[in-house]
Amino acid sequence: MLIKSTLNEFIKIAAKPRSYLGLAAITVLVGVILFALKADGMSFISFVTASFEQTLTFEGNILNGNLVAFIVLQMLVIHIPLLVALVTGDLVSGEAAMGTIRMLATKPISRTKLLMSKFVAGGVYTLLIVIWLGIMAVFVGKVIFGSGDLMVLNSDGLVILQEADIGWRYIGGFAVAFLALLTVSSLSICLSCFSDNSIGPIVTTMAIIILFTIIGTLDVRVFDNVRPLLFTTHMASWRSFFEDPLPVAQIKESIVILVIHNIVLILISIFKFNRKDITS
Amino acid sequence: MKKILWLILIAIVPVATNAQDANQTISELINKMHGVKDYSVDALITSDIPMVKILPSKATIYFKQKDKFKIDSKGIAILPKQGFTDISKMLSQRDAYTAIFMGNEAIAGTNAEVISVFPVSDTSDLILAKLWIDASNDIVLKSQITTRSSGTVGIVYTYAAQKKWGLPDQLIFTVDVKKFKIPKGVATDINRTGTTDSTKPAAKTGEIKIDLTNYKVNLGIKDEVFTK
Amino acid sequence: MDTAEKMIEVNHLSKRFDSFEAVKDVSFTVNKGDVFGFLGPNGAGKSTTIRCMLSLITPTSGDVKLFGKFLASHRSEILKRVGCIIEKPDFYKYLSAERNLEIFARISGVDSNRKDIHRMLDFVGLNGREKHKVSGFSHGMKQRLGIAQSLLHNPDMIILDEPTTGLDPQGIIDIRNLILQLSREQNKTILLSSHQLSEIEIIANRMVIINRGVTVIEGEVAHLLNAQELIVRMEVNDVALTLSLLKEEFAQIIVQREEGNVLHFSVNRNHIPDLIKKCVARDILIYAIESKRKLEDYFIQMVTN
Repeated sequence: MLIKSTLNEFIKIAAKPRSYLGLAAITVLVGVILFALKADGMSFISFVTASFEQTLTFEGNILNGNLVAFIVLQMLVIHIPLLVALVTGDLVSGEAAMGTIRMLATKPISRTKLLMSKFVAGGVYTLLIVIWLGIMAVFVGKVIFGSGDLMVLNSDGLVILQEADIGWRYIGGFAVAFLALLTVSSLSICLSCFSDNSIGPIVTTMAIIILFTIIGTLDVRVFDNVRPLLFTTHMASWRSFFEDPLPVAQIKESIVILVIHNIVLILISIFKFNRKDITS
Repeated sequence: MKKILWLILIAIVPVATNAQDANQTISELINKMHGVKDYSVDALITSDIPMVKILPSKATIYFKQKDKFKIDSKGIAILPKQGFTDISKMLSQRDAYTAIFMGNEAIAGTNAEVISVFPVSDTSDLILAKLWIDASNDIVLKSQITTRSSGTVGIVYTYAAQKKWGLPDQLIFTVDVKKFKIPKGVATDINRTGTTDSTKPAAKTGEIKIDLTNYKVNLGIKDEVFTK
Repeated sequence: MDTAEKMIEVNHLSKRFDSFEAVKDVSFTVNKGDVFGFLGPNGAGKSTTIRCMLSLITPTSGDVKLFGKFLASHRSEILKRVGCIIEKPDFYKYLSAERNLEIFARISGVDSNRKDIHRMLDFVGLNGREKHKVSGFSHGMKQRLGIAQSLLHNPDMIILDEPTTGLDPQGIIDIRNLILQLSREQNKTILLSSHQLSEIEIIANRMVIINRGVTVIEGEVAHLLNAQELIVRMEVNDVALTLSLLKEEFAQIIVQREEGNVLHFSVNRNHIPDLIKKCVARDILIYAIESKRKLEDYFIQMVTN
């Protein structure tokens, strides 16, 4: 019954116009960034490497597809969660608003399975978003800009990663990015269980992300203990795959924190949804 | 009176002689350099620069008289801004500098003439170039170039098979790094919570080593190589 | 001894929402083959009770048994045999009728193929509309589609919460006929909640009335309503003479009230022709005579007391 319900959820997601909004938005956003970098990307790089270029010169294809993909991912870290929440935040509350939750909840499928099928469908949609982002950023980026070594600017200096060493980093980075976005999906579905309208969970999800991101970036001691526990702190962990040496312990910690967030959010959702009186 | 004049003459002659020696040494150096019409060489570039992490990278260097120069790198290579062709460019314009013999110094067991080169123009980017030249082989063993824009770059030259052409098989550049700064707001690890060790003194220089192999000298290189 | 199989048993059901008690103490039983009327004024707790029966709402106390099994512990097993429409049926507007039924069929515990779905759409009068999006459906069409989704898995019992709300007279008749067909031809047990007293009277064999969350009365419709009894309103020219006639000739008639020249009284419908004849014989002029079913009065009486 779980598989059948999940199939139902895929059909519903695929039939909603808003599901394609995310994919279209990524296409347009990435397209704009690629266009801008193609037009004047070298100025952007010069700004970044300005102080090094007084004594050093950088030879080779710096503005290549790998760097462009990195810049795209870096720029869209706040925007992609919204595109995910736009669809997943509607999965439960949208049904309540439409009244179809009433129809679903009188069927012989348990509420837990019904909810889990929404989590699975939301997760698959999130994966689709990440894959599409990867195709647009990495693949299309390489088609336009060619390939080459990747130059990453960290707060402690430049890291230049060789082209042959980048592929697995992007795979790892995207995997962690997917886990981070899955947390956003789980959060929005969880909030969706508490609401009977679509907009509330979506806006609340984004508000939480923005709030946690601000807490994470404010360099004040009072937040030192809280910061490592916030899922937004670990949303940027995909970047760790582009450091040398690879901070394995840090990456593992981020994965564990994000997985725990997902589990807790799912459990809260199941608890709430099973006890919810469906009066709409 | 006569005695004083003799003393002055004795003092000036070595200076005049040394100035003539410096120019002579440089002329011979330039003549040897001009013997190389063109060359291509494979380079392995190893960088040890504070605030920059990069694995050794490969490149091919092309040169053609009188000033065509190109570095062809598949990946990203970091090279010093100054030091490759600056010496030969600078020394070719004989009216643009004054060369002064500063003495002799032993470099790796070889006796080298130390010659300082001062630009004539006040507006030149070059402030001073100091060369340690093996006059018997007409090769530069070491150089130190100070410019307004790039600070001081020191280069150590090692020669082997291509010594007859004056082409080194290894260059070690030492560059100034104290001006390096990361622009705030552009650094991308926004959530990094680790702190930098402020007790360690900040490094002031970095090193770039270039190993040169597989020289192809005077085999002819098309001009298109330098334009594409 | 009551040997009928009990399909629904609601025992002392109560439901409190914060400080508001929507259902206080509702109990009733529905037997196999019943068309059971579930009556009550607005806000009586009908919808809340039905939602408790279908696990949409968790009762505060009391229990619900369907097919002899507790709903709380046998939910999936029970709901496979139940079809329902709660208030207005809502569908996925952006999907077609066919696709909507596929979705609900998939989680109803049956393997329905396209043929079954088309057959069902045909049964409810929506053939030719399979591919049309529900967003373009009228209220009546959605109601039909709702019935289709409630029947697709061939349930033993159907629960309908106000299925004729918003329908035109023809729509009401169609739904009534459908219910009767399901009951008589397919022997399905039907619980039907409605405001339409006349509908309940026509199609239900048993009923319960609840008010303010409490069961008021339960029993067979014929027994409770006694449709022979009517409440009559008669306007005459001479009230005193009419009262005198009633006292002499129709002692069993009880006059409930007088309003000027209008008399209100309860009478068996078989006595009305005779009453009129005797009024005419005594030169009592009858300006108007109208009757209403005792059910309406009974209902109003039950729910206003």
